[in-house]
Amino acid sequence: MTLQPANTGELQTIAHDARARSTPLRLVSRGTWPAGVTGGVVASTSLDLSLFTGIVEYVPGDLTLTAGSATTISEIDAATAAHNQWCPLLPWGDDGGSLGATFATATTGPCARSLGTPRDVAIGVQFVDGTGALARGGGRVVKNVAGFDLTRLMVGSWGTLGAITEISIRLRARPVVDESWTLYFTPGDIAAQSRLAALRRGPLAPLASEILTTAHAAALGFPRASALIRLGGNTAFVAAARAAMREIGRTEPCDTTVWSRYRALDPHPRAVTANAFADPLSRRIKMLFDPAHVWNRFECGTGAEGKS
Amino acid sequence: MPELATTLSHIVGTRYCLTRATELLAYATDALPGNRRRPRLAVMPGTRDETVAVVRALYAAGMPFVPRGAGTGLSGGALADNVVLLGLQRLRQIITIDPESRTATVEPGVVNAALSKAALPFGLHYAPDPSSQTACTIGGNLAENAGGPHCLKYGVTLNHVLAATVVLPNGEIVSLTAPSEETPAYDLLGAFVGSEGCFGVAIDITVRLTPNPEHVHTMLADFSSIDDAARATSAIIAAGILPAALELMDAATIQAVESSIYAAGYPIDAAAVLLVEVDGAADGLDDDVEAVVRICRACGARMVRSASDAIERGRLWQGRKKAFGAMGRLAPHLAVQDAVVPRSQLAPILARMAEIGTRHNVRICNVFHAGDGNLHPNIPYDAGNADESARVHAAMSEIMELCISVGGTITGEHGVGSDKLAYMERMFPGDSLDAMCRLRDAFDPERRANPGKVVPSHRCKEWHAAPGAHT
Repeated sequence: MTLQPANTGELQTIAHDARARSTPLRLVSRGTWPAGVTGGVVASTSLDLSLFTGIVEYVPGDLTLTAGSATTISEIDAATAAHNQWCPLLPWGDDGGSLGATFATATTGPCARSLGTPRDVAIGVQFVDGTGALARGGGRVVKNVAGFDLTRLMVGSWGTLGAITEISIRLRARPVVDESWTLYFTPGDIAAQSRLAALRRGPLAPLASEILTTAHAAALGFPRASALIRLGGNTAFVAAARAAMREIGRTEPCDTTVWSRYRALDPHPRAVTANAFADPLSRRIKMLFDPAHVWNRFECGTGAEGKS
Repeated sequence: MPELATTLSHIVGTRYCLTRATELLAYATDALPGNRRRPRLAVMPGTRDETVAVVRALYAAGMPFVPRGAGTGLSGGALADNVVLLGLQRLRQIITIDPESRTATVEPGVVNAALSKAALPFGLHYAPDPSSQTACTIGGNLAENAGGPHCLKYGVTLNHVLAATVVLPNGEIVSLTAPSEETPAYDLLGAFVGSEGCFGVAIDITVRLTPNPEHVHTMLADFSSIDDAARATSAIIAAGILPAALELMDAATIQAVESSIYAAGYPIDAAAVLLVEVDGAADGLDDDVEAVVRICRACGARMVRSASDAIERGRLWQGRKKAFGAMGRLAPHLAVQDAVVPRSQLAPILARMAEIGTRHNVRICNVFHAGDGNLHPNIPYDAGNADESARVHAAMSEIMELCISVGGTITGEHGVGSDKLAYMERMFPGDSLDAMCRLRDAFDPERRANPGKVVPSHRCKEWHAAPGAHT
């Protein structure tokens, strides 16, 4: 069975009922979660959150955006690109996936080192928890310490405490120059690898640098390529970074769209089991936010991967 | 009570268990003037083990406590009203600095600036830099999720803490780490950061250290209207430049600083100055500097000058960081405010704040993190003057309502403490406040740590009906 609430009131009613009847719920947003691994959640009823969609507020001058949790990564990208901004997450997975699932699973991406992770990017969250309460934490401004941090609690909680309905995030201006390169060096070339590591740690650090597996390189059409590099910044910065990169090995320019193809390969799959939330403190939190234990009940020991 | 004092004295030594009224006077206030609460006693453990023993003894005695670092907080968060004050300032050991992983593990009483000083030989520093950094402690920073001017680029305390060992108020010890993608878990560390001493006591804290930038360029832009300075702030950010810091000071603040020992050479006839710092790799920095200068001039800056060397840069920064202190010359007390508004609203908000100040006949000194929209409208006043105090209070309330009405928040970095409790109900609906109480209950179900702070207690529903909730 699938339940599809149209608003937070209906979602609260579903939460109350599920608690009263101890009906386990499987949270689904955009449904991009790979079909083969959804068995990790034990539930015969799906809670479809896809109607919580759309950008609620976007003020380019504030570099902040608030959107329904089912809003897709592509929609956010399109809206922000029009103002030369972006959501800094650029997360692993298909861009048809939702913002809510990205935060619920704390999914990062290749730019996380330079631009931040979901816990750094989220500035506010609204959710319905397992008691049926509609709560929000944080707000729509970039700096906020009012109250205990429900935002950080919800990020990475994998839908086990409630359903995120709305998220506020900080955006970034897109760099003036944004260029991508394939980098070639012999596998096992220790000197090249340590030069790459030094570049990543240094002041000319790339936006992203990913060592490719043979399979991923082939899938992207770069057999033999060792790494994908993305350089961003102003003209002089990128020129210096490019020169440093060329010290590592042979390079070839490539189209920046390579990154969405690479992210869609989901090269860093996440997995969760009930053991993830089994320590005493986490169990107390679970009990306080989902007393009937009905939200995204993960099987012990079996992994659920990816995001929905 | 004498029994508890005896027990605690056995743990920490009589010298560090204070019970006399005269001794306790020093611990009756934090850095927010005008609020005093006398603790029942003050206990200051000297080691992590003593700290654990003290917390366990307090739990056994059923005695609530308030953790305190250096007492530099600005929200009345460290006031202990007839309960035990747990001073952590003696725990000042830097346990390890690992230049390879760029991390440090420290005790909670380590002073913020002392950590950066210790990391200097490795070319590293601890990035969050509250203005009180020469006195405030890492433990206090953790509790408050402290910010500072350079948080614009580098992020607040949350973004720099990697792990903490915490004694829960019942004496249980837990290790909190930032969850990684490979091992999903609730972000208990993220929840603990900024919990204002209500979730327990961190006895060791692992933080990220940041490489010192290759180059730093500090500029002072001089404006004849505060509105122009606010517009320049928005324009710099909108242009895609991310300065390390972008601070605004108004005429009242400039004059206070320039007539103090912290005189920094700010133009005393300016309506406002912007202190803009860009840093990073040498390559590309000049382009950012040129862009900042061009934008400031286009927005009406009379002059933009650059610090010629580290000494001049230090002087420009000292004026900013000691501005609150300089305001101390203007009146016996200072009402310190902390709110955040959407950056694009800065200019109209500043104009409306000025109108509020005029109407209540109070003098507002603005000195704030403009790049984040994090306002600090401070009002020097005499708390002994009832009429003036009432006017200051009325003006501050109006300013907070104004910030809330434009979608802002009641505190960006100082915390709620006791000072801002009343505003929490304006910010959050009842169910949200109750959810916050439940989060606290996971850490401290009996509400022993810093009782009565952050969330008004009448907003917390009883949840004990949930069977097995304590297990």
